[in-house]
Amino acid sequence: MRIGVFLAGFSAFAALVGAPAFAQDKPFAGVTVNVITQTGAIQEPLQRRAPEFEALTGAKINVIAVPFSDLYQKILTDWASGTNSVDAGVFAPQWMVDYIAGGYLEDLTPRVEADKDIQQDDVGAFFRDFSEKYSGKTYMITLDGDFHMMYYRKDVLEAAGLAVPKTWDEYLEVAKATHGKDMSGDGTPDFGSCIAKKRNAQSYWFVTDVVGSMTQSKGTSQGTFFNTKDMTPLVNNDAFRKALDFLSESTKYGPPDELNLDVSDTRPLFASGRCALNLDWGDVGTISIDPKQSKVMGKWGAAIMPGSKEVLNWDTGKLEACTAENCPHAIDGVNHAPFAAFGGWGGGINAAADPKVKDAAYAYFSFMTQPAQSNADVTVGGTGFNPYRTSQLGYSDLWKKAGMSEEEAKVYLGAINDSMSSPNMILDLRIPQNQKYQQVVLDEAVSRFLAGEIDKEATVAAVEEGWNELNEEVGKDEQLKLYKATIGAK
Amino acid sequence: MTATDTMPDAADRRSWAEWLDGHSGRIMVLPAVVVLLCFAIFPLIISAYLALSRFALASGGFTLKFIGLLNFRKLLVGSQQYHLLGKFGTFGFVQFALLALIAAGLFFLLARYLLRGRPTVVGTVGRLLVTSMAMGLAVLALATMAPGGVPGTVVNTLLYVFVGVSVQFALGLGLALLCGQPIRGRNFFRVLFFIPLMVTPVGIAYTFRMLADMQKGPFAPLVRAFGISEWSWATEAWSARLMVLVGDTWQWTPFMFIVLLAAIENQPRDQVEAARLDGANGFQIFRDITWPAIAPIAATVVLIRLIEAFKIIDLPNVLTGGGPGLATESMTLHSFISWRTQDLGGSAAIGYMLLFISTIVCVSFFNFVVRPARRFEA
Amino acid sequence: MSTEPRSLARRLFEPASIDSQAPVARVLTYVLLSLWTLVVVIPLYWVFITSFKGPGEVDNGPFYLPFVDFAPSLQAWDFMLVQNYTLRPYMNSVVVAVASTLLAVLIGSLAAYALVRIRFQVKLAAVAIFLILLTAIIVAVATFGVRWEIAIVVAAALFVIALFTLVGRTKLAVGNSDIEFWIISNRIMPPIVAVLPIYVMFQQMRLLDTQVALIATYTAINLPIVVWLTRDFFAGIPLDLEESAQIDGASKFRVFFTIALPLVRSGLVATFLLVLILAWNEYLLALFLSNADAQTMPVLVSAQNTTRGPQWWNMSVLITVMIAPVIIISSILQKHIARGLLVGAVKG
Repeated sequence: MRIGVFLAGFSAFAALVGAPAFAQDKPFAGVTVNVITQTGAIQEPLQRRAPEFEALTGAKINVIAVPFSDLYQKILTDWASGTNSVDAGVFAPQWMVDYIAGGYLEDLTPRVEADKDIQQDDVGAFFRDFSEKYSGKTYMITLDGDFHMMYYRKDVLEAAGLAVPKTWDEYLEVAKATHGKDMSGDGTPDFGSCIAKKRNAQSYWFVTDVVGSMTQSKGTSQGTFFNTKDMTPLVNNDAFRKALDFLSESTKYGPPDELNLDVSDTRPLFASGRCALNLDWGDVGTISIDPKQSKVMGKWGAAIMPGSKEVLNWDTGKLEACTAENCPHAIDGVNHAPFAAFGGWGGGINAAADPKVKDAAYAYFSFMTQPAQSNADVTVGGTGFNPYRTSQLGYSDLWKKAGMSEEEAKVYLGAINDSMSSPNMILDLRIPQNQKYQQVVLDEAVSRFLAGEIDKEATVAAVEEGWNELNEEVGKDEQLKLYKATIGAK
Repeated sequence: MTATDTMPDAADRRSWAEWLDGHSGRIMVLPAVVVLLCFAIFPLIISAYLALSRFALASGGFTLKFIGLLNFRKLLVGSQQYHLLGKFGTFGFVQFALLALIAAGLFFLLARYLLRGRPTVVGTVGRLLVTSMAMGLAVLALATMAPGGVPGTVVNTLLYVFVGVSVQFALGLGLALLCGQPIRGRNFFRVLFFIPLMVTPVGIAYTFRMLADMQKGPFAPLVRAFGISEWSWATEAWSARLMVLVGDTWQWTPFMFIVLLAAIENQPRDQVEAARLDGANGFQIFRDITWPAIAPIAATVVLIRLIEAFKIIDLPNVLTGGGPGLATESMTLHSFISWRTQDLGGSAAIGYMLLFISTIVCVSFFNFVVRPARRFEA
Repeated sequence: MSTEPRSLARRLFEPASIDSQAPVARVLTYVLLSLWTLVVVIPLYWVFITSFKGPGEVDNGPFYLPFVDFAPSLQAWDFMLVQNYTLRPYMNSVVVAVASTLLAVLIGSLAAYALVRIRFQVKLAAVAIFLILLTAIIVAVATFGVRWEIAIVVAAALFVIALFTLVGRTKLAVGNSDIEFWIISNRIMPPIVAVLPIYVMFQQMRLLDTQVALIATYTAINLPIVVWLTRDFFAGIPLDLEESAQIDGASKFRVFFTIALPLVRSGLVATFLLVLILAWNEYLLALFLSNADAQTMPVLVSAQNTTRGPQWWNMSVLITVMIAPVIIISSILQKHIARGLLVGAVKG
């Protein structure tokens, strides 16, 4: 927070309202709300807007920031142990299910319905219906839109006469062709592909990007993690094996230490012009237009995640060529399955908090998501917020002010729109204990595979057995029911 | 507690001060005991219970379900075995030879104790326990490092502890000997070399991540000049472990150095001078005078370091997140990761096994190395 | 030259006097020490200059010399120290480290002194009963939902009864060296084993995220080290000094504070510094026990690793401001450290 901004806001308010009216105009005077989130991005806008909100309503917002890797457990420990020092959190919708299981999250449905200013119609359908809701009730207020997308260097691809890759095979071809060229202009060879592959970081989501484009072709409710018939993991099949091949092949065209790169490392790498291709969330776009950090301004583009011309036959475990029947949503014969990894940061409120505090926390989240605030915040790289409202997808003065040219905006926002409106979007895993399925079993097996500790078959076996074991531990029938509920399968 | 004072009570007056003085021993020890009971014994018992149960979220809070030794079974022989113990390779000739060597060594030590000393029941049982554990760990280390095997977190931790502490000791001793020479600027070196100890381990981990960056770190041009820009320490198990060890060594060598230097400065000057006059060379002086003088300190300082080394977490966590694969994951990090993903029972079980291993190692080091070294000095 | 090669060789390889080194050896010594100086300084230098860089200088680097190949800026310093709340975590760190160190040294040296000077005999049966009752309390509270206040009162009563009836008849007892060993061995316990129960304990007392919680925990984890080091200092003091004071009627506490403590000054300073460094740099427990109000510097350092990439420049500022005071303190106390650690580790 800038002291200057704070002072300016404060004096402006003081001049407007005058001291005596203080108590009356402010519904939440004297209320303090402790909001927890991750450090850095996400924390920044929450903290920056807190004084404005206080000036409006009198509620003091106290932002607590912890490193991303500790956030889930920190909230859980605080609420599960009954400490309740945290009144509200901004976190991943994926975690919602665990918090709801403990009864810690406040049902926000009535509040949202009574809220005139929140403009829910403007929020992307995916976020409104999936990220914010659980079994029909609204528990979170989306503040950020998150999709995996592909980023590329327009100039490099043009110079090499290459088209923007549409499938994973093309991705590898482009990566191979561009690898080793100098793209940043410093005289050293750069890399064809940068994908975060660090263990215990945020890289396990990229596995699902590749697998999903082959396992899910019939729409969102088909799902990509488990067979909706009997909760069998969709792992022991050719799609998963091909995805593993893709990961190890792409490593050859990546930075030498790619296995130790998190998204937080690949982002500056792309922005400093050292990668021809990159997979990431929307953040790369806003970082690439930040003049302080970017060397690729005007030279980059974004596109929907590559797809596959073959999709998995769930019964045989073999890949089959796309037809109108098995890939109803294919574009030019390619089945795309954009992955709503993480699902966007959103605010949720502790059910055990004081009613007045809950109201203030809700008012704050509503304030943050209203277009007046949000449409400006999503254009700034430092916020960590990416577009999630329809009104944010058009080129506006705000985007212009942020430094994005109209052409860049068309490509970037177009890619987001393509992903957001895809009927075949992949929903992230949201069954209880999903952290163990993904962050422990999947992440560990894939990183062991990439490090050469185990081979492809052993990796498939490790994931399959690990997921089956978790199914048994938590209760297979219950998990199946919840899995189907979260993706909307019949 | 019954305290028997060495001093006889002077009079029979029953004033408060008198009472205080009479119980002074107990009162002096009491705060320490209470603090340790609250923060060590009590948590340990709770953790033991946790290690035997499964944590689950339930509406309004959480439940702990007692599941017996299931957490341990999963780690030792079940689906998590590869993680804690590792994947076993095939034993070749080299492995058998090494194992035979270790077994012979352990057997020799045991036999020497039984034959030469006066064996006691406690001593014999303790040694049998230590010997069998050492043997078990040796088999584990050899099997997982054999071709086709992958070491788990136990072997990684042992590597950090034994390799790290030995290297730090060797470097610290070497530097202390150099600094112990009659040179100018000794105090300058002493303060300068002490600095790494003051940097928070998390900070060191990030610092070494910056330094070891193959793209934009200070050594990147150098590495490129050697034409190995296509390789990175982070992708191979051994180089990644080495990196963790480098960071650890950078931080803890100063600790060894500062204490050993003090010890060397305190060695009997007159004996050294006499030996010099007699024409003894540097090595002889070291062997006959310096080493005996510093051995007790050396043993103690290694023990302190040994105890701390088992707790390593910050460096691998920040440098590599435990990767590539499982290559750099220590037991504390393993436990921490389990904790982070709600597996509180598994986390406690790993913690307990770490406690078990480090207690046996540290206690036997104390009994078999530190005590004899101190007696040797007396 | 050719006329006296031997004397030249002799001059190069043999020391001029008993208290000096031969020239070759001296050069070698300085070369090796300089090498290690580089090893120590390069990482520190890199951190220091990184604190004057921005994203551009780091991502497009490496750049080595401020003003020469990059323009240093105070942006990160401004951001961390002026615009952000760094002062609060910093004060937290100072308060927690100093208070816990003072407490640990006080409690620890008292216990160490008593263990050196007074003979203890604790009945093994009493220890066993105590542990059994403690376990019983936990089981009762955890599985049968007994209120913990009640459980503790009942257990305490049972313990007192047992003390007066059963324990007196047993013979086996533990002595000073066993108690000492027990205290020291607590240091072996990895914090990860104990952290969750400690968390719940402070949560019950409503002390989470306070400096008190951190001070108490750090005092406990560093206590064994203090006892270990200081017991050796006290053992090194000649007994007659204290005896004469005691005959004059001084109490044990008075003897401890006026005679014993001043005598082991150097050792205490060294112990103090070592424990201070350990407390100042502790990360794992701080991460668990603090949220916002009591956050300490190491947590803040690691929090600079964000989804936008590690904020190297901010992190470097924090590391630099964390090292600075400790360097100053240890330069001042340098003499004591050397002497103190020595005595601590030798005598036994």
